Amino acid sequence: MIVTLRRSISVTLVLGAALALVMTASLCFGTIPIDPGEILRALVWNLTGRGESSIRDTIIISIRLPRVLLAALVGGALSVAGSIFQALLRNPLADPYILGVSSGSAVGAVLAMMLGLGAMSLGLPLASFAGALGTVLLVFNVGRMGRRVHTNTLLLAGVIINAFFGAVLMFLISISRHEALHTIVFWLMGDFSFADFAGVTLIFPYVVTGISLAYLLARRLNLLVAGEDEAIQLGVDVERVKKSAYVLGSLITAAAVSVCGLIGFVGLMIPHMVRLVLGPDHRLLIPASCLWGAAFLVICDTLARTILAPIELPVGVITSAFGAPFFIYLLKTRSI
Amino acid sequence: MARKGEGRIRAGGLFLVLGALLFGAAHAAAGTRVFTDALGRAVTIAYPPERIVSLAPAITETLFALGLKDEIAGVTRFSNFPPAAVEKPRVGSYVNLNIEAIVSLKPDLILATAAGNPQIQARKLQDMGFPVYVVYPKDTDGVLATIRRIAEIVGRSERGGAIVRDMRERIERISHRVRGLNRPRVFFQIGRDPIFTVSRGSFADNLISLAGGDNIAKDARIPYPSYNLEEVILKAPEVIIVSSMYVDTDHSGWLEEWKRWDVLPAVKDNRLYTIDSDLVDRPSVRIVVGLEKMARMIHPEAFPPEPSDQNKTSRQYPGFTATGEPPLRPDEGKILGRE
Repeated sequence: MIVTLRRSISVTLVLGAALALVMTASLCFGTIPIDPGEILRALVWNLTGRGESSIRDTIIISIRLPRVLLAALVGGALSVAGSIFQALLRNPLADPYILGVSSGSAVGAVLAMMLGLGAMSLGLPLASFAGALGTVLLVFNVGRMGRRVHTNTLLLAGVIINAFFGAVLMFLISISRHEALHTIVFWLMGDFSFADFAGVTLIFPYVVTGISLAYLLARRLNLLVAGEDEAIQLGVDVERVKKSAYVLGSLITAAAVSVCGLIGFVGLMIPHMVRLVLGPDHRLLIPASCLWGAAFLVICDTLARTILAPIELPVGVITSAFGAPFFIYLLKTRSI
Repeated sequence: MARKGEGRIRAGGLFLVLGALLFGAAHAAAGTRVFTDALGRAVTIAYPPERIVSLAPAITETLFALGLKDEIAGVTRFSNFPPAAVEKPRVGSYVNLNIEAIVSLKPDLILATAAGNPQIQARKLQDMGFPVYVVYPKDTDGVLATIRRIAEIVGRSERGGAIVRDMRERIERISHRVRGLNRPRVFFQIGRDPIFTVSRGSFADNLISLAGGDNIAKDARIPYPSYNLEEVILKAPEVIIVSSMYVDTDHSGWLEEWKRWDVLPAVKDNRLYTIDSDLVDRPSVRIVVGLEKMARMIHPEAFPPEPSDQNKTSRQYPGFTATGEPPLRPDEGKILGRE
């Protein structure tokens, strides 16, 4: 499939409209149904600061809105990170977690919770971000030999460090107190009930910068997928592309994981879904994964907070439960 | 309903006495008796037992209240009351028992709870020849019945009866005072990230209704659900009670967080409280203290700080002295620290 500017723009517009629709719908669904007009009024009230606030306005602006924004940001982030890692490692099973970023940030987060930092609004994301960055540096230094980055060594280092940190995590859980346990378990399953505007503003710059830079890397990622030797012949500095892709993907993942825990499946599945429908060109794959991943996670979170309301489910349960069958359906009906 | 339950237990006791008489000939020499536990199993117990292992903090509290300080051979990790309990050997946490530690204490009675102790581990101990007596209280009435049962099998029926009478009297006084009052909407929080609360089937929910409140989460389908923040705001609780799972953890931050939602009546009227969770989720003698504290939070108007109430702190915990020290043994004179 040839990617023309026109095609890129139209795909982006269609998916962007779909995302806007999904986000608006998500604002409407919840414990009480709210109609779109009321949401518009609440948004206007919030932006202009005029008029009386009702309980419904509070619910829309202070509870649902940060949650929907955060779900969209994280969904987009994980999906773009997934497409970057799949290109970098040339491995269809690569996802943001395979390089150990997730377990590293989980160790950071669990340590923070055990030290009681979970009660501070920014302690948890900052600790898990630090954990993720530490892991990224570790994996990168193991996977690098001299100036060259060997993707196989990188992958192997990631898997090993992932497994090791998994053990550290289990150790921390087994010695932790009951109270921290709830938080840890929900965090490990991915959960948006902690969402607030602080989290949104915390990760927004990282995610948006990361995704924009990833988009600029799209053409070179295409060449990387086609083969390193060919890319070198075409004058691409392959080592630099690999390093940038690795750092970008890890940063985006760390930012996402730090505010909402481990949300499985999205980073693995969304790029594949998009590739099956729109083809493998990263100039289209990256923006489309971002938008569709965002919409997908907003849908999943809406289900997580409404299916058994007032009981809340961790969103990770939903992403896997609904994502996997859909993924299998796509595999069966479309040939790769 | 409470009366009926008690009647049943009396009948059960009578049956057991008859059973013990029938088996008496065979077991008299060995000094054993057969008791039926909460799972309906007949458990043969050395009577009175001398080396008891408690598999839950609530059971530990009850045993201390019954004056069995010396007979308790081992307790679980979070058994922190009375202070003397902390010095007893530990046998793991109540959801993760250390079988070796239990066996090495050579208990002649193991007291287990069906609400938390892993069945597999209890059965294993039973198969190894240790008598495992299982209790399973599900609400306040169940707690009273359980205290009576434990008192009976450890040979402290009289003292157990006195404690239960004291507790029942205190519960009835509360229900008498809140009778006919309106029921404020109560939100009871046990977890913060995510928000967890209590619903029907939990001890705290039972206490809220006994204390004359209306638990906003009572209709959630599981006893300890993770709860939607939206739902809390919508149901507009008039009282918010945060149960601190650990006394040494500062939970005032949780209350600060609720203050952001100034649409809530509880926030407007500044009716935000914390309570020690050991008093509301442990089915032990102290549950009545939890109830009294909750009743004051939910109906401050019905419980003015009278001088007579001040005096009552001298017997704050049924079966314990004012300082929470392990009680005197029945043969050492005073039974309860009552006026």
